[in-house]
Amino acid sequence: MKPTVLNTPNSNLLELEHVSFSYPDGGIGLDDCTLIIRHGSRNALIGANGSGKTTLFQHCNGLLQPQSGLVRYDGEAIDYGRKGLRQLRSKVGMVFQNPDRQLFSASVQEDVSFGPFNLGLAESAVRQRVAAALLAVGMEAFANKAVHNLSYGEKKRVCIAGVLAMEPELLVLDEPMAGLDQRMQEELLIVLDELHERGITLLLATHDIDFAYRWADRLHLISAGRCTATLEAADLADCGDALSAVGLPLPKVVELHNRLMAKGALSNERTPRTPRTHGELLALL
Amino acid sequence: MLIEQSAYANRWRQVAPAAKGLFALGGFIAAFAARAPIAAIAVALLIATTTLVGAGIPFGRYLRVATPALFFLGISCLSLAFSLNLNSDTQALSFHLTPTGMQQVAEVSARSLGALSALLFLVLTTPLIDLIAMLRRLKTPEALLEIMVLSYRMLFVFSEAVHDTLTAQSARLGYATSRLALRSLGDLAANLTLQVWQRAHALHVAAQSRNNDGPLRFLEPVFTNKRRDVAFATAGGSVLVLLAVVLS
Ligand SMILES: Nc1ncnc2c1ncn2[C@@H]1O[C@H](COP(=O)(O)OP(=O)(O)OP(=O)(O)O)[C@@H](O)[C@H]1O
Ligand SMILES: [Mg+2]
Repeated sequence: MKPTVLNTPNSNLLELEHVSFSYPDGGIGLDDCTLIIRHGSRNALIGANGSGKTTLFQHCNGLLQPQSGLVRYDGEAIDYGRKGLRQLRSKVGMVFQNPDRQLFSASVQEDVSFGPFNLGLAESAVRQRVAAALLAVGMEAFANKAVHNLSYGEKKRVCIAGVLAMEPELLVLDEPMAGLDQRMQEELLIVLDELHERGITLLLATHDIDFAYRWADRLHLISAGRCTATLEAADLADCGDALSAVGLPLPKVVELHNRLMAKGALSNERTPRTPRTHGELLALL
Repeated sequence: MLIEQSAYANRWRQVAPAAKGLFALGGFIAAFAARAPIAAIAVALLIATTTLVGAGIPFGRYLRVATPALFFLGISCLSLAFSLNLNSDTQALSFHLTPTGMQQVAEVSARSLGALSALLFLVLTTPLIDLIAMLRRLKTPEALLEIMVLSYRMLFVFSEAVHDTLTAQSARLGYATSRLALRSLGDLAANLTLQVWQRAHALHVAAQSRNNDGPLRFLEPVFTNKRRDVAFATAGGSVLVLLAVVLS
């Protein structure tokens, strides 16, 4: 979508530098957290409950301001003034963990139109964007439905459409897969792949190492408010230590693959790289 | 919630809300224009028939929605019909059924029925989101509309929260005895208060994250046959008013 994305695939889109944040009641949200998100990459943030994923995300969108440390977007430190935040939020879209906390309009179409109107677009442009966003998440037939009559999975998609309609450069999704059935998950993955192809940088939170390994380019581990490691998915097979340091196992596919290699059922020549999915592994056998 | 269901699943869902509003308005005017009770009753019956036959609202559901209103209407009629007399000699209280009172009751209740049927027609055929969009076009103050939108949305978020909390409490025997029930009810109230606050705050944060810093603006639904619908509704509304005037 943006030429810069293609020209500089390795430049940093979003950076958190030594960010610390604690809540008013003393709870530690982030503790000296450093994280880099590259242009056009797919990122998974993995951490246990209460490790600070949601807190970190709220920093990406300027909803929270670091008490110490710095957040940079596109190389520049975020300006927390009105204008700066406006600019940031039109580039970083945020899909919340709980759809009921994001949707506040009564009908699907109304809710999706909310963001574009806030960007100051004219009605005809808004109408276009709403239609395109609903199409992208496969909810075009639901445009005139009431939000409260939707299922959980449908609500989640409407949430995503509501943010897509603002055409962000970076899309941040807080546990998008939680609560979705297998089919919905597969469909959401397709949606995410399409967005990635359009050049949108993706960052999502998850507890699920298997899913993260299969989907992401880079995995960021977070524990007790601190990013302990950033791993390339391609090298994950050798990163067992980093994973176990935050109490995570190796992905099942990797484990199985390693065991098969040890037993001699698979050999190095036949598997140039570790398979990412169950299907890929089966194909090797 | 019954009203809500009908509003979304009636035959006239795609009819322009302006038309439905106009017809209901005709009903209101007719109800007040009707001087004879018989005229107001006729208007009420006509509107009710339109609702049932035209919009295809099931009769049972219509009755269930109308019952509470009818109940209150009945009570107020009773209080109008009887006048309370305090006999100064005997210091005794007595009720009187007065003929003028009866006349008054007939007039008032017939008119109320007319107005009630018009209101039911509107709410049973038109979702609140359409009504709000219509009010916006009629230049209703923005603040009022925003409150309507948010309260409407919160209503459902809350009924869900109440339902979930109640279920969770019951599942752990929270309502097994009356003492426990009282306690659980207290907990529920406390918990809900907190949830109201938290959810309202969460919605505010969500609005911020989508760059909102002023009025809430939304896309309005489009109704294709608006002109035709409005013409029909004008005709229908005029018939009601005429009927009321002729029969009076
Ligand atoms: N509003 C708040 N007030 C006080 N403490 C909070 C608040 N929100 C989060 N915390 C605390 O901050 C820490 C990080 O919470 P956060 O919500 O970021 O975790 P998370 O990784 O998103 O967890 P989950 O997987 O359960 O969603 C937790 O210890 C939590 O108790
Ligand atoms: Mg969270």
